[in-house]
This record gives sequence, C-alpha cells and structure tokens, in this order.
Amino acid sequence: MDSSVRAVLSDLEVRTPRGRLTYALITLALLLLALVVVVPFIYAFTSGLKTSREVFSTTFQLFPTVANWDNYGQAWAYFNLPRLFLNTTFMVTGGLFVQLSVSMLAAYSLSKLKPIGGRFLLIGFLTTLMIPGIAYIIPLYVTAARLGLLGSYWGLWLSYGVNAFMIFILKNFFDGLPPEIFDSARVDGASALQIFSHIVLPLSLPILIVLSILTFVNLWKDFLWPYLMLLGNPELQPISVALFVVEQRSATPPNIQMAGYFMAMLPPLIIAIVMQRYMQRGLSLGAVKG
Amino acid sequence: MMALPLRKERADASDIPHHRNRINWREQFVAYLFLLPALAAFAVFAWWPILNSIVMSFQQVDLMDAGASVWVGFRNYERMFADPTFAASWRNSFEFAGLSILIGFFIPVLVAVLVNEMRAAKSFFRIVYFLPSVIPPLIGILVWQLIYSPQPGGLLNQVVIGLGGTRAGWLQDAALVKPSILVIMTWGGFGATMLIYLAALQDLPIELYEAAEIDGAHPWDRVRFITMPYLRPTMLVLLIVQILGIVQIFMEPLVLTEGGPGQATMTPVFTLYRKGFLNGDYGLAAAWSVLLMIVLGALSLVYLRVTRAVQQ
Repeated sequence: MDSSVRAVLSDLEVRTPRGRLTYALITLALLLLALVVVVPFIYAFTSGLKTSREVFSTTFQLFPTVANWDNYGQAWAYFNLPRLFLNTTFMVTGGLFVQLSVSMLAAYSLSKLKPIGGRFLLIGFLTTLMIPGIAYIIPLYVTAARLGLLGSYWGLWLSYGVNAFMIFILKNFFDGLPPEIFDSARVDGASALQIFSHIVLPLSLPILIVLSILTFVNLWKDFLWPYLMLLGNPELQPISVALFVVEQRSATPPNIQMAGYFMAMLPPLIIAIVMQRYMQRGLSLGAVKG
Repeated sequence: MMALPLRKERADASDIPHHRNRINWREQFVAYLFLLPALAAFAVFAWWPILNSIVMSFQQVDLMDAGASVWVGFRNYERMFADPTFAASWRNSFEFAGLSILIGFFIPVLVAVLVNEMRAAKSFFRIVYFLPSVIPPLIGILVWQLIYSPQPGGLLNQVVIGLGGTRAGWLQDAALVKPSILVIMTWGGFGATMLIYLAALQDLPIELYEAAEIDGAHPWDRVRFITMPYLRPTMLVLLIVQILGIVQIFMEPLVLTEGGPGQATMTPVFTLYRKGFLNGDYGLAAAWSVLLMIVLGALSLVYLRVTRAVQQ
C-alpha cells in the first residue's frame, strides 16, 4: 500500500516516455544493488553445497554441479549448531527478561512515583548512553572477574540490565498515559505494585513487543562481552562466540564453514522478514483507519 | 462508577500546594524500591567501571585482587603515548573515518532517494537492504573472509579474474585492506541508515515538489534544491553517528587481519583489547580506555548539540 505516492517525479511525469525510462533505470539500479546485498548470503548457501574440490576452484562458479546437502548435515554436527542455538536463545531470553524488568520498574518509578532526585537519576542513567560500552569494557571485565561472575550466564544477564535507552523510551511512554487512570486506581486503594502489574503492564504491551524484538536482535548480535565472559566455559558460548572460537582454533574446510555460517544466519533473517511483515500489516491498518 | 471519587480526589488535590514541603517517606521508599534493580545494575556494570577505569589507569592492576594493585602515577599514560601502536591506531581511525565518508556515507542517502521514488515494491527493497543489519556482525565477517580469500576459492578474486583483472590480496595489501573492511561495514549497516533517511523523506511535504514542478523545475533541480536541503540536518546527525561507529572498529581487525598488514588496521579498541586481554596489562589498557571515553564522549556531546540544533 505504499505505492501511488509521488516523490520527486509526479505520476504524470512517470508516464511520459522519458519518465518511464528514468523509472526503469532506477528500478534496475535498485535491483542490482539488492543482488549485490544478497550475494554473501547466496554465496554462503551455495558454497555450502559444493564439494571440497569445487570450493577451491579458481574459476567463478556460483552453483555446484551437484548439490551436496550432506555438507549441511556435517556442519550441523561439526559446529554443534543445536547446542549453539539453544545457548544463544538462553542467553538472549534471560538478558531480555532482566533488561525489560529492570527498565520497566525504573521507568515507572521515575514517571509516576515521583522519587526525590528523580531528574538527577535520569540524567545519571542517560549519561551512560554518551560513552559506548566498548570504551570501558576492560574495567567492566575486571569488575565482573572480582565479583566472580565470569563463566556463567548470570554475569551476562545481570549486566544486560543496563539499558538507559530503554528506560528513557518507557518513561516517555508512561508520561504519556492519562493520569486519570492512576488517580482513580490510587483512590480505589491500589498499591504501586498493583497499579504496575494490573494497569501499566497491560497498557504497555504494544511498546514492550516492539522493544523486545529490538533487544532480542541486538542481544543475539552481541559478541565481545559474551566472548570475554564465557571464555573459560565453552559449553555455554552463544553462536557468534563459538563460531569465532572454532574458526580460530581449527582449519575447517570452507564448504563446511559456509554451510554452518548460512544456517547460523537463518534464524535472525527469518525473524527480520517475519517481523517486517508484521510491521507492514500495522502500517496498512493505520492507513485504513486514517 | 469511578467518576465520583475521581472528582473528589481532584478537589482534595487542590490542597496539595499548601503541603508541598511534606515528604511522604512511605511513598519515597516504594519509589526507590522500584528503582533499586536499575540503580544496582548501573552502579555495578556502568558507573563504577567508568570511574574505575580512571583509577585503574594510574595502577598496575591485579585482576582478581583490587588491594594488590600498585599505584604507578602516570606510567601507563607515558607508556601509551610512547607506544608506536598509539599513533598508528589513531591515524588509522582518521583514515577509516575519511575513507568511510567517501565509501559509505552517501550510499544510504542516494538509495533512500531512489527507493522513495518507487511506486511499487518499496517494502521489498526496504527488507532486502536491511537483511545484513540483522545478522550477527561476526558471522557476516566470517563469510566475507571467504569472499576476500586469497586462495583459489575466494569469490571476489574469481570475479576480478573473470573480468580480466589480476588476483589481489584484499585483506593482505595495505592499500586495499581499509576499503575492503569498509565495504563489509557498509554492507552491514547501510540498510538501517537508509531506513532513517526514508523516514525523513516521508515527512517532506509533497506540495514542495508540486510547486517546483509548476514552476518548471527540472527533476534534477528538485532533488538538488528540495530533497537534499531537506535531508541535510539528518545527514549531519548520521555523519557523527558514523564517525562514532568508525572509532569503535574492532571485530574486523580481530577476525580478519589482526591489525595487519603491518599496522594498517590497528584500531584503538583492538589495541586496547590486545593490551588488556592478551597481555594482561589492565592498567595500560585502562589508560587507553580513558582516552577512548574522552574521544567518544566528546563526539556524543557534538551529536547531542547537533540533534538539538536540528530539532529547533
């Protein structure tokens, strides 16, 4: 439903011969770019199907003569992918839960419970957005080591509780909720916790879903911090970390590597595509209403 | 049912200004109880490490026992500045930043303007260009490693040779390695950046185009005098975001080049990682951290200033 809106060229101009040519050229350029963008995915997929001789061929040959689906089975077992997917899911889900809970509670307090010095605290939270975490990863690692948090998911989960951006978004969202709801609930004798669980939580479900998708994808991509935290405990490593460790330690045949990498990329790709559809449905619903 | 008590509460609330100074400690206790998890998490995993990096930068650090660390004054800073890797790392950051403006900065603007022109399949392009942004960067880098491979199977060399060129060491040649890395980064990031430009373009009133068309402005002039000036503030903000990202380059040197060839891809974060985790020299690494925090913090301040100026 995003068609028929003019941009630089008007609809009339697009229909002239010159306009048609311009439009065709733009489409062609964008399609070519799309092809270039997906080449690494296709290359990973087809290299994963090649024999160990084909994968070292000097000449350009995108597809193998015969598809060796066997490689995918081998890579699945070689990298122990089920285990890696499970680890990543476990790490990400726990981190997501901690991050959402911590941020929700803090944002609710800052927005509705009027703590003394709340503005000061908010600034304190937001300051951490000014300094990317990678800049202080050394002292962070030292702190985690001294607290005995290395080598377990707990250290990761707890540290994922830090997300000032999420507190900020949620606080703004709570600020926008009509104050009458809270006033009347308080008059009815509801406690802060009851208001939180019975009113705030259900009302913020849509924004929580959006934030969850965002956080899920971001935590799934995390590499350096889980790498450092789980260096001593390979069985727990999430997928990026484990694939890097294997790549560093052993000479894996390229076709098996590519089969493994392709399978590793699939879950986030699928989530992105599915969520995109979901978002588009939301957009078109809004368009119908408008 | 709630209308009545609500109105009553409102009436009572008008009395509150008289008692503004009275603090309800019970309510304050509850408010801080809700804040407690965040305060604890930020204290342990953000505020303290940030402060501690300054402390550690003046120490010879014992990883497990803070009490066993030794104060060394400015030794770590002296060692940092004396290290030839220091100049190389920051020079590389500048070169990466400069090159990335040439290679990666204008692509998302251009693509957004073109996608915005499409009458159909807009969402198709949006999804496809965005796909590299959702996969873990590390896995993308591992795939690109094989694309750039100097061995017979390397895709890029196959294509170049097929087109009549000669084999190149994309990651081994000092002249090629920076652009090669920036291509990976652009591939991984331009789709997300393009979405921001597209969103900005959605807000551009089409009446401007219509008026320009009536005045007989050529489409190219409409792009030049309407689209581009309209996008300029967004471009300025995203330029700073891009530089912030460039200063943090780490995974590509780690996986692909180990800082080489020579020191062509040594970066501040990669050096910091090597000093800290490979050499166990946490005090020296902390000095690198402090400098990095100053640089990134300053860039963030510029970012804030610019966003605020843009919004006004």
